[in-house]
Amino acid sequence: MITPSSLVRPDRRRLYSQRIAFALLMLSTALIVLPVLYIMAYVLTRGAGAISWEFLTAMPRQRGLAGGIFPAILGTIYLMVGTVFFALPIGVLAAVYLSEYARPGRITRMINLSIINLAGVPSIVYGMFGLGLFVLALRLGSSLLAASLTLACQALAMVITTSREALLAVPKGYREGSLALGATKWQTIWHVVLPQAMPGILTGAVLAISRAAGETAPILAVGAAFVLPRLPSSPLDQFMALPYHLYVVSTQVPGMPDQTKWGVALVLLGVVLLFNSLAIFLRLGVRAQRYR
Amino acid sequence: MGFVTSGSTEGEKDPSPQVEEIRLRTASDLMNDDLEVATANGTKLRTVAVNLLYGRFQALRDITLEVPNLAITAIIGPSGVGKSSLLRLFNRMNDLIPGVRVEGKVEMDGLDLYDPAIDVVELRKRVGMVFQKPNPFPMSVFDNVAFGPRRHGLKDKGKLRELVEISLQRAALWDEVKDKLNQSALALSGGQQQRLCIARVLAVEPEVILMDEPASALDPISTMKIEELMRELRRRYTIVIVTHNMQQAARVSDWTVFLTMGEHREGILVEYGTAGQIFMNPKDKRTEDYITGRFG
Repeated sequence: MITPSSLVRPDRRRLYSQRIAFALLMLSTALIVLPVLYIMAYVLTRGAGAISWEFLTAMPRQRGLAGGIFPAILGTIYLMVGTVFFALPIGVLAAVYLSEYARPGRITRMINLSIINLAGVPSIVYGMFGLGLFVLALRLGSSLLAASLTLACQALAMVITTSREALLAVPKGYREGSLALGATKWQTIWHVVLPQAMPGILTGAVLAISRAAGETAPILAVGAAFVLPRLPSSPLDQFMALPYHLYVVSTQVPGMPDQTKWGVALVLLGVVLLFNSLAIFLRLGVRAQRYR
Repeated sequence: MGFVTSGSTEGEKDPSPQVEEIRLRTASDLMNDDLEVATANGTKLRTVAVNLLYGRFQALRDITLEVPNLAITAIIGPSGVGKSSLLRLFNRMNDLIPGVRVEGKVEMDGLDLYDPAIDVVELRKRVGMVFQKPNPFPMSVFDNVAFGPRRHGLKDKGKLRELVEISLQRAALWDEVKDKLNQSALALSGGQQQRLCIARVLAVEPEVILMDEPASALDPISTMKIEELMRELRRRYTIVIVTHNMQQAARVSDWTVFLTMGEHREGILVEYGTAGQIFMNPKDKRTEDYITGRFG
C-alpha cells in the first residue's frame, strides 16, 4: 500500500549510487579539463614575459636570439590556409560521394575502412610521403605548396570522416521532400543537404586543420626553414613555421633564454586557439542565419 | 429516409433570401454523386498487372486499377499491406530504394511512367507528394514554397512572390503566414507545417497530388482543415491519398481502393470503385469485413 510517507522517504541505496555515479562523472570531466587549463596556465606564465610587439611583428635576428618570430607566425597561417584550400573541397566532395552516391557494397565498405585507417597513420609517415611526392617527384621543393599539400593529405582523412557523419545525420525526409518536388539529386544535395550539414562539416574541418597547424614532423620532413631572410612571396618559396621554430629554438640553439622558448610555445597555442574560435563563430553564424 | 426541404413552398415567404435547400442524402444519392465526380473527367492514372518487388520480397501482386481524374481517391487497407508502396509507384519514389523492381505498367494519361525515356525529375513536377510527417525545409516559409519553382529555373522575384502567394492561398495558409514569410518554417505548428508542405507542392503546379497519410500526425482540428483543403483542391488536381483511417476515407474520397494481405504478406487488390459503393455496398466479403471492423 502506498502511504504518503512511503512516497516521501527516499530509497537510500538508489540515491547514494546515483550520487556516486554523478561524482565519478564530474571527476572524469575534471580529469580532462583541469590538465588542459593547467598546461595553458603553465605556458602562459612562463612565456608571457617574452611577448611584445617586436616579438610578434619583427623578423628574427642573430639566429633567433633577438628580434621576433613574425615569419614563423605568418608561415603557420599560410600553411593553415593552404591546408584548408586543398583538404576542404576535396574532403567534402569525397564525403558527399560516400554518403549520397556510393551504393552500399563491399567496395564502399573498403573505402570507408581505408579512410578511417588513414586517419591513424603517424604524421612523420605523411611527412615522408610529402617529401617523396611533392618535394622531390613533383619538384615543388621545400615550399609552402609542398607543405600545404602534405598537411592536407593528413587532414583529409579526418575531414572526410566528420563530413560524412554530418551528411548522414541530415534526416532522410528532407531529401525525399526535395526530390518529390522535382529537384535533381545534385540540387537536393547543394540546396538542402549540404547547408544542413555545414555546422558539422565546419567543426570537423576546424579540428583537422588545427591539428595540421601544430604538426612538426611533416613540415620537418618537407623542409621548413629555421631562419629565412625574407618573407615568402609565392607558394613555391621556402617558409618558416611555429612548430618547427619551437623545436629548433628549444633544442638546437645554445644560449636561448627559456622565456623566449615559452614565448614561441605561447604564440603557437594562441594561433591555434584563435583559429578554432574563428571557426566556432563561423559555425554559430551559419546556425543563426538558419533560424532567423 | 425522407426529404426535408426548407425554403419556399406555395407562397410562403422565404425567411432569409439566402436560404439553402437542405436535403438528407440517401445512400444512392451518395453513390450517384461519387460516380458523377469520379467519371466526369476520365481516368488519370492506371496500373496494369503491377508487381512490386524489393529484392526478393514481393510487396504488391497483380495490381490492376484506375484512378479518376480530378477526384479524390483513397487507398485503404490494413497496416503494412503496401498502400504507401502503391502510392509511390505514381511518382517513382520507390526508385530510391536499392533493389526495387516494378513489373507491369503504371500509366498517367496513357503514358507508361516506367518507360526508360521518361525523365523522372520532370515526372515528379507533374506528380507531387505530401508525406506523413510534415517535412518543411529548415528555411523560411517563403523559401520553402519557392524551393520547387527556383530549382526549375524560375528566378524572377516578382513571379516568385506571386506564385508563393497563390500557392499559400490555395493551401489555406496565406492568412496565417503572410506576415511571417521570412520566419523559419520550423516555427509553425504541425498542422501549419503540413499545409506548408502542400503549398510547396502546389507551387510546382502539378496535375496529381499524392498524399501519404497526410493527417495522421496531426490533431483533429488540423485534420479537419486538411480534409476541407482536399475537397477544394479536387477541383484542380487529381488527389490520391493513403489513409489507415477508414472514417476519413469515407468522408473524403470519391473513389476508393481496398488492398489486403495475400498469403505471403504481399499486397493484393480486393476491389475498387466509388466510395459510396465500397462503403455501403461492397462486392467482396473481405471488403465488408474490413469496413465493418471485423479485421484490420
